[in-house]
Amino acid sequence: MRTVCNLVCVAVLISASLVRGDVRKARELELAGSIRAAEQEYRADGGMAWAEFLERRHHPGAAAAYEKLAAATDAGVKRQALKRLIVVSLLAGKKAEAEGWLGKYVAAGGTGWSFNTTPRPPVSSGITEIPGPIRSFSRMAALSPDLEPGELLGALARNIVTNGYQAAGNNEGLDQTEYLKLVYRYLSQAKELEKLAKENQIVIEQCDSVQTGELLKALGYRMRGACGGDLVLETVNASRAFLTIDSGFPLSELETALKTGRPFSYAYSPTKVPVLYGPNYWTDMKEKDKPEQLFIEFFMSDPQLCRLYLGLSKLDPSTAEDLKKAMPVARLRAFSHVLDFFGGMLQIRNGKVAVPGDPRSASVWTDMVGVNPDNGPAFLERLISKDDGWLAAYFESLSRISGPTLTYLTEPIRLRRFYLALRGKVTSPGPARPVFRASTDLMLLTSRLRMEANGKPHIPGTIETWRSLFVNHPHGKYDGKLTKSAAGWKEPDDLIEALFALSRKAVDNEPLKMFLSLSDMNRGRKEPITAATADRMIKDWKLFGHQYTAFAEMPEISEKLIVQYLTGAAAINGIGDVQLRADVVGSYQALTALTQIFCRNRLLTVSLDAAIEPILTAIPAVRNSRDLFDAARNGARHLLRSAGVDEKADPQAAMLGLLAGAMRPRDEQTHTILVADMQKVFDAQRLVSLKVIFDIDDNLEAPSNGGKTNVALVNRLNSRIIDQQPPRSSLSGAERNAMAFGYWVDKHIENERKTNFRAVLDKAGTDAVKLKEARGLLASFLRDTLVGLTYIHYAPPGAQVLFTNPHFVRSHDFLGVQGSNQTWRTTEVFGTGWPSSAGGRLVGSLVSLPYALAEAEQNFLIPTREQALIWGDLVPQMIVSAKVPRYWRVTPAQLHYAALHYRAGESLLAQAAVDAELRPRVIHALMRFAPPARAEAVNAHLESGRVPEAIDLVTPAEAFNLAATLIQANEGDGSSPQVSEINRLRQALPQELSAAAISQAFGTPKPTLANSYQPQLLSLRTFPTLMGYSSRILAESWESSNIYFAALADEFGMRPAELNIQIPQWTKLAVEKIFATHLEDWPALLRSLRLVGQEMRQSAKQSQQGSF
Amino acid sequence: MRKFFALTLVAAAVVGLTLYAQDAVFRVKVDMVVLSFTVTDSKGKYVNGLKHTDFRVLEDGIVQKLATFAEGNRPPIQILDDGSTKPLAIADNTAKENELKGPSDAFVGTNVFVLFDTSNYMYRSFVYASDAIADFVRGLDKADSVAVYTFSRNLTRAADLTRDRNFAIAGLRKAVAGDDSALYNGLLLTLRDAAKVPGRKVVIVFSNGPDNGSMVAPDDVRAVAEDEGIPIYVISTAEVNKDPISSGVFRRIAGRTGGKAYFAKTWQKQVEAFESIREDLGNSYTITYYPQTNPNEGFRKIAVEIKSDLAKKYRVRARPGYRPRTS
Repeated sequence: MRTVCNLVCVAVLISASLVRGDVRKARELELAGSIRAAEQEYRADGGMAWAEFLERRHHPGAAAAYEKLAAATDAGVKRQALKRLIVVSLLAGKKAEAEGWLGKYVAAGGTGWSFNTTPRPPVSSGITEIPGPIRSFSRMAALSPDLEPGELLGALARNIVTNGYQAAGNNEGLDQTEYLKLVYRYLSQAKELEKLAKENQIVIEQCDSVQTGELLKALGYRMRGACGGDLVLETVNASRAFLTIDSGFPLSELETALKTGRPFSYAYSPTKVPVLYGPNYWTDMKEKDKPEQLFIEFFMSDPQLCRLYLGLSKLDPSTAEDLKKAMPVARLRAFSHVLDFFGGMLQIRNGKVAVPGDPRSASVWTDMVGVNPDNGPAFLERLISKDDGWLAAYFESLSRISGPTLTYLTEPIRLRRFYLALRGKVTSPGPARPVFRASTDLMLLTSRLRMEANGKPHIPGTIETWRSLFVNHPHGKYDGKLTKSAAGWKEPDDLIEALFALSRKAVDNEPLKMFLSLSDMNRGRKEPITAATADRMIKDWKLFGHQYTAFAEMPEISEKLIVQYLTGAAAINGIGDVQLRADVVGSYQALTALTQIFCRNRLLTVSLDAAIEPILTAIPAVRNSRDLFDAARNGARHLLRSAGVDEKADPQAAMLGLLAGAMRPRDEQTHTILVADMQKVFDAQRLVSLKVIFDIDDNLEAPSNGGKTNVALVNRLNSRIIDQQPPRSSLSGAERNAMAFGYWVDKHIENERKTNFRAVLDKAGTDAVKLKEARGLLASFLRDTLVGLTYIHYAPPGAQVLFTNPHFVRSHDFLGVQGSNQTWRTTEVFGTGWPSSAGGRLVGSLVSLPYALAEAEQNFLIPTREQALIWGDLVPQMIVSAKVPRYWRVTPAQLHYAALHYRAGESLLAQAAVDAELRPRVIHALMRFAPPARAEAVNAHLESGRVPEAIDLVTPAEAFNLAATLIQANEGDGSSPQVSEINRLRQALPQELSAAAISQAFGTPKPTLANSYQPQLLSLRTFPTLMGYSSRILAESWESSNIYFAALADEFGMRPAELNIQIPQWTKLAVEKIFATHLEDWPALLRSLRLVGQEMRQSAKQSQQGSF
Repeated sequence: MRKFFALTLVAAAVVGLTLYAQDAVFRVKVDMVVLSFTVTDSKGKYVNGLKHTDFRVLEDGIVQKLATFAEGNRPPIQILDDGSTKPLAIADNTAKENELKGPSDAFVGTNVFVLFDTSNYMYRSFVYASDAIADFVRGLDKADSVAVYTFSRNLTRAADLTRDRNFAIAGLRKAVAGDDSALYNGLLLTLRDAAKVPGRKVVIVFSNGPDNGSMVAPDDVRAVAEDEGIPIYVISTAEVNKDPISSGVFRRIAGRTGGKAYFAKTWQKQVEAFESIREDLGNSYTITYYPQTNPNEGFRKIAVEIKSDLAKKYRVRARPGYRPRTS
């Protein structure tokens, strides 16, 4: 069916395009993914189509192809070629070359394009000096060496604010942390070394000299042995020596020079660093502690000043300037924390502030703030100083959104009403007081509120459902006042007001979590869940709420089965035998998780209900191991059948094939590699294959029917059991005593190890009842196998834990530490870093297994640079984003379409550098995704023709969205080959290239933001770090990696299925190259992505010599 | 067609190397076992000068036929079927395949992987430890290669495997101190790298013991070292009694892999520990063999026996066994 559709669509495309013979064929081939063949055809044409093909594919030969056309006699062709040459040159950072092409373009009669000749005045700044090389200072201050000089003080300020000071033990003051003390000590050493330098060089001509002695003394080292081959440098002053090593002084080179008698020379001069508004602006605020104090020392001595620096650097220059003029510096300093966290979306244009919901809401903002937004500086001054930052947080949250949600929330009456609810009576502590922004719930509510077509918010269930929750809450009141007011709720606004009110509280905001979870569940459903089901789910939230992400990802599941799942889970909780309960939970959750995987990858050939119902009904009904085995086996078999697997097929092979992501893969080679990789993990975990288990079961009845036991089969099971080493066989008594958890897990493993199935069968003889009983012994093995299959589907690249700890799957703790009731909660990593433990293990349900596995694996990634560390909360999500999506159903046209958007975005940015009409449209579109300061910085770069610098500030997702927005609004330049190709493709393949299809193909899972692991593109602004989530939501809002990698794959002419292997590998490489300075340093992530791209291009160039 | 087989190896064998004995091709098969051990007398002194004929190697009680034999850092000899020996010429035909680019004469000398703990726990003794490691690197036999890795929460390859001592020391001197400690994660990754390198190799861990970040258990890491035939030496800068659990773990992973654990709080003791390791490396014997048919797919016990009457006086220290790989 799909193939027929494709053929029809291709035919439409071809007929729709007025193309010549070769080009027509080339297009057809390109669309079908035969890039090399298409290349041949385009090359044969050699005209504009060839040049545009090369440009669309980001091929370096595009410029040469356009150059040929620029010599054409046809004026139209000539001008178009020259235009593209201008864009291509700008993208390559060759402004002078672009100017040359522009001259020719004008000479050829081209109009409308020119470079801006009146550059805007630079931001006022001054220069300070930091002693010693910047590389050393950056090492000591934990700053990325990739930072531009202008970014350095801002990054340092961030580190000082977050890591520089700690509460003093006995008073209200702040003490320097060890980190900051070391930076100060380093500066002191650097000053000493600077004195030893002559003409900015530390030079040692002779080993045996006064200079050598002075240098070594400053470094904290001394010579052991006489000058010459036997000389060795050794520590004499540990604290100085520490600074020497930690700052990266080339001690080894010095030692070699002294040994060999060669001169030693090391460039050592102060580093000049730009200071926003110049050093005097900051030093005028307060007196220096000592007159000889350097500016950098003064700067680090005051965390509040550092925070103001941060806050002002987040504003666009003109807004900051206006604010500076309006507010005395001491007053600005007092609200530096608010500016830092919530100033990023503030902007004054022509003296006015554009408020969210403008112009309809302007009067309400005037009222709430106390100043009219038309008086920009005064408005901002009041905004940041009001209600300890709550009003600024509200403003910022609303500024980040657009569309119907913004329209709803900024309706004047609601705008005021919701703010009053949020603000409450006591505004302290403000949301900018803690280390992380305390406006998490507010941001989640405003950015994830779902609107109905009628402009009202979506309410899962009915208002009565929520009224009942607040009035008759089973676990105590959320808020006394809200409980009282809930009785009178009639409209959705009443509930939303309550959710705003709870967003201010520092405690767990359970109603908001329920609300967003159920809203997200309803998003994909044809019909939202009924009030009765919503009631039930709310009542069961405490026990089973974490499981609801599975329902959000399987929107086809009926309400009956949702209720059945919950009923089943409750029944399982009632099983008294702890070991049996763990096996039942494991089997139940694993089969559900496998169904979820099949559903996500659209592998089911029957309805979801038909696939999952037998699992949800049979397993909770079991009362012993034998029943469990029967139910789990039938469940697994049924699931395979539901995916179209033949009864006679090898169940293990079929299951692995499906878990690789495809039943009938288009790309056998890729599929085989994936299956082989999964098999390796399966073997490393010494799991028993489904086939062996099922065959043994099938064979059990043979003796009672006069047949013989299949000894070979039983031996295969036994050999797997023998293979299992006891997890802590060699622990001493003291080590065992140090263990504090895992009793039931150990018992589970121990029981399996003790199983001698052969002996059991021998004992049973031909007794049919006993033989039937023996099946119960297989139940725990089957549980492990099913759980293991879900593990291997999500195994992160490298999978060191799974390859090293053969008990990792078996030790999944479904029960958790006694009393913690983790059976149905999120998956967590537990027990790391205990020398006596059997290694970390996963605890809880399987619902967030992908994230937990990635979290367990992240510290095995090896940073490529000596100081870079793996970024705790961001990296697991990056791995999840690489590992969960599969690309079997992605078509070559979809891959190309996504890549085209990314490249069109960059190309339009480049074009905006010379097209004064296009530029404001581009910047306006960009501002929907990037904060004003960044959009303005991009604008400034474009005005100056610095296109690569502008693009460095735009993420691939933003470039993608920028193109989509402009094309949607018909504001993209149709003469651009990317834009025209996008339009052509969209017209030809409307369904295949719909926004939903592209979102599904190249999106990422967002378990926190969207309560689902279903990959999707939300096109939200990149989130900051938030209290309770650190960088996790930031990572979920980061949609650039897969888009960038899709473009890279398209550039190389890869088959979409190859992304199944490449994206996890490229992601691993990217993670290992991240050198971030702080937790919001996404530009570091962008740099690492681009480094991977460069490396891949380099190796592709070497292996393919420029061909696709 | 490729002239030689470059095969994946099992049980600490050599990856993709083909050895020559004059014109005869010495093929390294997938199951070759490399076994290093030391022999000491009743006073603990190393016993040198023993020949291959002095030893008998048993695997699960099955006598094994030796393929090569080497003492200390001398070049290995090939043992032919008739018991005669020939010098072993070595050619590396898989340099491109070898990520770590081990030296072509990989069977000469030892590949030493130093794993330096740079976590917060080592903050106070960081520079002294760095000095002690630098001294150790300088004093290694010329034939040895050395790699310097550091770890805190993650592993860092400060200097890849090299015979250039200055390069290794320069890498060491670039180490940055700080962060959590994931010792066993770091050790595992080091073993994985070492396993890819042909020839004899050891891992030397320099740490004071605590681990607050590893996902893998010491005994799982020890099992990898055992299976790969890589002795682990541990120099702990903590006092043995201060953290008995870490000390016990150190002793076990060192002892079970054929290495040793040292508890050296002072710089002087650390230097002595390194000296002892150097001696161990210079005074060990290395044999290789292809296991005789053995149905045991689990842990296979290795015993090295000395044939002569001297056996009672001498003590052999070797890893106790290994698990053959399943694929």
